[in-house]
Amino acid sequence: MVDTAPNALCFGDGFPATGVPCVVHVEGHGLTMAFLHNVHGTENGSDSVPFSDMTVSAGGLDHDQLVVKWNSPTEQRTLYLKNPDLIRAFRQAAPSHLSSPLERAAEQVRQVRKRHRLVWGVVGGSLLALVLGLWFGSDLLVELAVDRIPIEWEQKLGESAYRDFLGGQEVMEEGPVVAAVEEMTRRLANQIPDNPYRFDVTVVKSDVVNAFALPGGSVVVFTGMMKKAERPEEVAGVLAHELNHVLQRHGLERIVKQLGFVAVASIIFGNQQGLGQMMKQLGVELMTLKFGRAQETEADLTGLQLLYRAKIDPSGMITFFERLAEKDEGRVELLSTHPMSSSRAEQLKAELAAMPTVTPEPFVFEWDKIRTSLGVSTSTGS
Amino acid sequence: MKSEILYPGAFPMVRVEFGEGEHIKAESGAMVACSPTIDIESKMEGGFLGALSRKFLTGEKFFFQTLRASRGAGEALLAPTVPGEIVVLELDGVNEYMVQKDGFLAGADGIAIDSQMQSMSRGLLGGEGFFILKMSGKGMLVLNSFGAIHKIELKPSQEYIVDNSHLVAWSTTTSYNIEKATSGWVASFTSGEGFVCRFRGPGVVYIQSRNPRGFGSWVRQFLPASE
Repeated sequence: MVDTAPNALCFGDGFPATGVPCVVHVEGHGLTMAFLHNVHGTENGSDSVPFSDMTVSAGGLDHDQLVVKWNSPTEQRTLYLKNPDLIRAFRQAAPSHLSSPLERAAEQVRQVRKRHRLVWGVVGGSLLALVLGLWFGSDLLVELAVDRIPIEWEQKLGESAYRDFLGGQEVMEEGPVVAAVEEMTRRLANQIPDNPYRFDVTVVKSDVVNAFALPGGSVVVFTGMMKKAERPEEVAGVLAHELNHVLQRHGLERIVKQLGFVAVASIIFGNQQGLGQMMKQLGVELMTLKFGRAQETEADLTGLQLLYRAKIDPSGMITFFERLAEKDEGRVELLSTHPMSSSRAEQLKAELAAMPTVTPEPFVFEWDKIRTSLGVSTSTGS
Repeated sequence: MKSEILYPGAFPMVRVEFGEGEHIKAESGAMVACSPTIDIESKMEGGFLGALSRKFLTGEKFFFQTLRASRGAGEALLAPTVPGEIVVLELDGVNEYMVQKDGFLAGADGIAIDSQMQSMSRGLLGGEGFFILKMSGKGMLVLNSFGAIHKIELKPSQEYIVDNSHLVAWSTTTSYNIEKATSGWVASFTSGEGFVCRFRGPGVVYIQSRNPRGFGSWVRQFLPASE
């Protein structure tokens, strides 16, 4: 019986299956064991084994324990050593005939650890590659997927969302305002070669300063936005931006991308609650945010070019966006809640400066009459 | 500190008697009743990061309860959530156990609980996930199972095959490989066993007589379909 803390487990035929805890010391001739409990086949609760009688190997759940075996007069005994200091002392004291099995055991441990590291490295690397691939290669994948979706599907999708939205809104069916918006849309649409979409523009009576486009060609303009505009070119600028969202199939790309990310995030994070769920949400939001900004820039630039081709003063688009961003900081819900940033305006100005000048052709309608019919006082200009 | 299992069988409780100042940690929600001298504290075992890794890696609870007899001797009754047996082990400082994530009920303060990463094959196919709990240290360890607990004692080099969903705890002197239940892939799954663990002694393997996942699928067929 001993007082010191045990540092090894001894197994044998008459021993319990959990092993008997013992204190092992490395001596010059071999190992001595002092058992915590009196066990059968030992003298005074202690035992010893010379190096010459033992064999060694690696064992245990992670192959990180040194297994020492020997034959006692009555049975085979096995000792499991885990303490690194004890294993080190054993290796230093062991005679030459044990050095090659010890080296083999150490090699086995190294192999197991190496394999673990390799497998986890490959898995971690693959996951990283998947995430990076999605981040950088997703646009291409989404484009490939979107290209395979027929325009008719897109129109049906857009129409159902359009009907849902219009259900609760007061639509302006006819009048000078509708005619003006239709004229602008016609002039813009005429400049789109091989246009597969039929643009269906609806004017909704609402003070919300907004306009949006749905997949398939449905465009909604709020009277609030028209009241805010000082020139018809400004409204045309917003329309050109929105029509390009339709032409570039941005809504569809967004749907495909969001669906894809939810699926991938579910595979990576599983159905975890709490942090896992939060990471999943965050990942999807971040990806769509990045995507959304890229789409806005694309719609800005192609919108500007469309205005130019339609001989509508393109500066209207820039001034309108800039004014809204300055005057109603954070309050204006413009273009899918993407406020005009100054860098976006600068980019558009640079683009415009690079274009050859063109003489704009005026609209047929009279803007003052439109504003009057919208209830805006023309004398104050706002 | 003394412990006693009450009502052994499907719905047991464990009574732990505390001397003044003694304390144990238990799974959050394990306390059923206790003396007024026992204080219950919520503790993140292993610090915030340790608790976080346990919660997200092994699915164990973020907080453990600490039951402390701060105002004199007393007792506490503890019970697991699921019906099944309770077993009390005494760790001596060298014996270590791996415990599946729902198997821990309570432990003396000297017991260290870590989440440990398994190898890829064990993580993928072992049915316990990539991270499991490793119990080391010295003192009382209370485990619970789904169904009855059966102890398999393995002599050195002795082998035993266990269906992976029935594992509760196993000593770290054992080793195991994951293998198909039968020689063919199709038969492995049609036999209903899929993958099994081939354990090799020496050491002890605690198994549960019921498979929680199997029970879950059985119950699911009686639940009304949600929208």
